[in-house]
Amino acid sequence: MSDEIDFDKILAQYHSDPYEYIDVYASHTGKIRFLVQEGDEVDAVSGEWQHIPGTALFEITRERNSKKITATINGVISSLGVEFEGKFVEAGEKLLTIRHPLKKREIIEAILKEVLYVFRAPERAKYFFSPDVQSRVEKKSDREVSVKTGDDIIIMSLMKRDTPVYYSGEKGVIHSIYFKPGVSVDQGAPLIGVCPLEKLPLIQKIINKVKADWDKKD
Amino acid sequence: MNTSLALLIPSILDDYVQTVELPWCRKNKLPDSEIIFRYGAYVGSVIRIYPRLDRAMDTIRDHIRSCEESGTSVANGSLVLASSLSFSKGRFSRTWYAPPGGLWGCLLLADTFLPQFRNFLPLIPGIACCEALHQEGASTATIRWVNDVLLDGKKQAGFLMEGFCSPIHKENYHLLGFGLNINNDSFPAELRGIAISLSQVLGRSVELSSFALSFLAKLRYYIGLLLHEEVQWLERGGGDEYLDEHPIIKRWKELSDTLGRRVQFGYDVVKKPQYEAFASDIAGDGGLVLQHDNGTCSVEHSGEIRYCVKS
Repeated sequence: MSDEIDFDKILAQYHSDPYEYIDVYASHTGKIRFLVQEGDEVDAVSGEWQHIPGTALFEITRERNSKKITATINGVISSLGVEFEGKFVEAGEKLLTIRHPLKKREIIEAILKEVLYVFRAPERAKYFFSPDVQSRVEKKSDREVSVKTGDDIIIMSLMKRDTPVYYSGEKGVIHSIYFKPGVSVDQGAPLIGVCPLEKLPLIQKIINKVKADWDKKD
Repeated sequence: MNTSLALLIPSILDDYVQTVELPWCRKNKLPDSEIIFRYGAYVGSVIRIYPRLDRAMDTIRDHIRSCEESGTSVANGSLVLASSLSFSKGRFSRTWYAPPGGLWGCLLLADTFLPQFRNFLPLIPGIACCEALHQEGASTATIRWVNDVLLDGKKQAGFLMEGFCSPIHKENYHLLGFGLNINNDSFPAELRGIAISLSQVLGRSVELSSFALSFLAKLRYYIGLLLHEEVQWLERGGGDEYLDEHPIIKRWKELSDTLGRRVQFGYDVVKKPQYEAFASDIAGDGGLVLQHDNGTCSVEHSGEIRYCVKS
């Protein structure tokens, strides 16, 4: 994590292009049929229990097994791989991009993800702090809970199979928590952001700067 | 009536598989059963029996630690059984009463499973237990997602699966804790009305070691089936995702009474129920497909359900 952050440069980037671009890939090999067009607005998954699916983006068919892939984030289709329509693609082929408009909170989180050590979910599952970390988070603030490599900090729960997840990364305090207990987290999505204790003032400076700058802009 | 587990040794389990379980599989035309039993043969390769333990899962963890500290290997498929447990607990530290008469223990499985197949593991103990109950004459045994076994609508068996990373060699294990109410027919007040034992349903005592043999042989079969299907799938080309209906899912559906029911869902459904929905299907990866009142569906891979009482 660098001490030197060019706030003006980072903020100028977000001012000129306040969007996140999310690429959507083929999850496995299969034949593609798009259900959206470039420029279409798409909705994210919603509902109290995340039970209302997002806009259907495309259908992928393999071995007569058809699957509709839906948007997980709202935005506009900024690019579409029309050349893949009706074609068989390999797993991992980029099919389209969603341009998602960022809110102030998301911009702060995006900048923080660049400067914090982000610990990610090993599998799609539900995640919970281990009882010891949970009680420390409840007693103190999460920003006073320190973690180091090898600590058994999180429990991954999948099909009534509970597996401890061991932290590996920079030693520091838990600054950001990206998961909610009981809500599924995708593989690779951030679980926590960790900040070395001595860098906390710098992080706070980033947050204040973005807030002030964004409010001024608004 | 022998209600002791003392006779339960690996060679007796091997004999039971060869003389009872395998002929039964052949009679029912289950394909590749001999090969499948060979894949699962490590289950119960070492059996340790204790008159009393605090928690069987803790004993297995201590065993792994002490093996590593003394430089010896941990036998995959090792099993710990106890006549009673003093500090047993269910999920979320719920009370699990484990007096003499029940089948209490923990099975250690090294994590040699492909990621696409690990989700099927927790379904196995429910299937094995349910089949053993049917074989014993308890025809009302069913499975409630994920792996609770119910007799006459009350909980007869519960299973806990926890991961464990060994302290020195960082080997990953799955620890399958199990608690089956067999001949224990009295329960503390908080469990009365929701728990039941096999002997209560049958109106007679059950030979505990015979029942244990049947349950363990079926665990061998289904863990063998999981490994056998991994090999078959890889030979068919494998891939990132397993798209077929796994034979374990197929068997689970045959034995479960969850689908088609209105259920209450929650991660900890007793303390914090989240919503009610209709259990419409099991996804290919074992997740429960829930249809909400507005017609939309969601798939839950973690959490538990309770059946809603029909009004």
